[in-house]
Amino acid sequence: MRRFTKAALLCACMTSIAQSVFADEAGPVRIGYSMSLTGIFAQAAPSQVNAYTLWAEEVNAAGGLDVAGEKRPVEFISYDDQSNPANAVRIYERLITEDKVDLLAAPWSTPIHLALAPVLSRYQFPMVGNTAASVQLREVAPGYIWFPTAVIPDKLGVELAKLMKSEEITSAAIMANVSPLSQEIKTYLIPALEAEGITVTMSENYPPDIRDMTTLISQANAGSPDALIALSYPADTFLFTGQAKELGVKAPFVLALVGPTIDAYQKAMGTAADNVVTVGHWSPKQEAWPKAKIFFDAYSARYGEAPDALDSALAYMSLEILEQAVAVAGLDREALRAEIATATFDTINGPVKFEGVENTVTPTSFLQIQDGSLELIWPQAIRTSEFRPKTAW
Amino acid sequence: MAAQLFFAALCSGALYALVALGLNLVYGTLRLLNIAHGDLAMIGAYVAFVAFSTFGLAPPVSMVLAAGLCAAMGWALYAGIFRRLFATPETAQRLEANSLILFYGVSVILQNVMALGFTSTARGYSYMGEVWRIGPVMASGNRLLMLGTALAICLGVLLVLRFHAFGWSLRAVIERREAAGIVGVNVDRVQGITIALGFAIAGVAGVLVSMTEQITPFMGFPLTIAAFVVIVLGGLGNIFAGIVAGFVLGFVETFGIALTSATYRSILIYGLFVTVLLLRPQGLFGKAIQVR
Repeated sequence: MRRFTKAALLCACMTSIAQSVFADEAGPVRIGYSMSLTGIFAQAAPSQVNAYTLWAEEVNAAGGLDVAGEKRPVEFISYDDQSNPANAVRIYERLITEDKVDLLAAPWSTPIHLALAPVLSRYQFPMVGNTAASVQLREVAPGYIWFPTAVIPDKLGVELAKLMKSEEITSAAIMANVSPLSQEIKTYLIPALEAEGITVTMSENYPPDIRDMTTLISQANAGSPDALIALSYPADTFLFTGQAKELGVKAPFVLALVGPTIDAYQKAMGTAADNVVTVGHWSPKQEAWPKAKIFFDAYSARYGEAPDALDSALAYMSLEILEQAVAVAGLDREALRAEIATATFDTINGPVKFEGVENTVTPTSFLQIQDGSLELIWPQAIRTSEFRPKTAW
Repeated sequence: MAAQLFFAALCSGALYALVALGLNLVYGTLRLLNIAHGDLAMIGAYVAFVAFSTFGLAPPVSMVLAAGLCAAMGWALYAGIFRRLFATPETAQRLEANSLILFYGVSVILQNVMALGFTSTARGYSYMGEVWRIGPVMASGNRLLMLGTALAICLGVLLVLRFHAFGWSLRAVIERREAAGIVGVNVDRVQGITIALGFAIAGVAGVLVSMTEQITPFMGFPLTIAAFVVIVLGGLGNIFAGIVAGFVLGFVETFGIALTSATYRSILIYGLFVTVLLLRPQGLFGKAIQVR
């Protein structure tokens, strides 16, 4: 009998220990995503992955993710989609059906976001997008995907024309990469400029593999425009800036589309980068968003370089939204979907609220590099500095 | 504008000629299609970036470092793998036939090693960005440095080929490897030195490119393509014609865009490429001016 009592006590102890261990180890909330680690989008991946990693480290350091009142650590499960939307679709199906992740984080690029939307609807799995920018996003059936970006080409065209008008720009030359985003923006920008009474002196396209812009910039210079708009991508943004400096562009308003928010741009261009305008809606200088500076400092300390004001900020925002939604709704997908669709979230980019798939709070904005910092110069409601004309390279 | 365009064409042409020169030397002597050639330039670009950002070394110093590193890689590849395979005609033939696949593997390895080491985030640094006025031409210091270095290397290689005993040996190996061996040329030594030289030139080209472009692990592929177009235009293994073809490509690209539109760039370049392949498969300059 004594032997039986001992065995029973031992059993009870073991069960109790196992339960407590199990309670701790049931913990990790598994978040899946695919990333373009190789292929044509690979260059952009680190700015997004870094933001994800930083977020996870911060959450775990704070005791874990608040899952409707219960703190649990987070861990990522990720795969390389090789910059291929079809691969990304297969990966997210695997994450949902085989890996059985608890949550999903977004991949990189507009085409991959668009390819994933039907998958998310089919599996009724909510995901907050981030680095997608196209008017096509509005054609995505609302329900399980949301886009916090404020870089939507039609609004961007109108707001850029307003900004230029406010700075008394009367003429503009446009050179556009043939990539979809540049072309979409150009489509909406030209009528918007004309509506504001701004004359378009030149509108030329160029291929993404262009290696010399002497002709384009010389043609633009010949019209003596007040503004030179390069709807460029990072590789050609570097080329454009270097050659605009070489050819002595005189336009006081110079915009480059994608690239100036990358840390390497200012390092490579030096003073030539000063007063270049670009697209973006986040800046650590905006004091009304107290989390912005904290994120900037943490990212800079962790990675030894500034975060990309577009991709890194959007990636971090998307996980902030997910974090706040999970704190209220837990991991139940329908509850989570309802929470993301209806709540207002406090992010490094200020408040975010969705209507349909679109973030309707964050305004379409523009940044300008001023003395090595990215300042918001438009719209006036959130600007951190006034526009400065580009008078020197 | 014409003078500015001429300068732009000269810069593009000199870079194309330099990148293609290394590829052509390797193909000419070893008959190996080095599809990783642009990735060696990428290695050179990272050498320049690290040397400048971490140690404060200027790109001219990096050119020596990059050339040394890439030459060592070329020599290691030759001594470790190719020498043995070139020992018998059967294995040499098999190596030549499979060189595209082999170097594709090298390319993937180099890209991923650099992506692991540096991430794929774009890098850059600013060197000699000030603009100089030379007559009617405005030129940034880094483009002038690129032009001068590329011209000097191309000229130097041509002079060696023309006047130095090693150059004669190299030309003999390019022309007829077996016959060169029979008449006393140390083919093994020539091949080893040439692959090191070809790789070193690619490394220097990478340093030059890094002064004006963003640096990423995947920046090499467009350079490889440009180099292949140039050496096919000039004639595979024809060193002098390859250099001339680099400048032809630079001028066709720059003035072609000026006369038509930037969107026609690919049509201009590949149109010329296909036309030459159809009409003069031996290359634009044929054998008439081939270095002998």
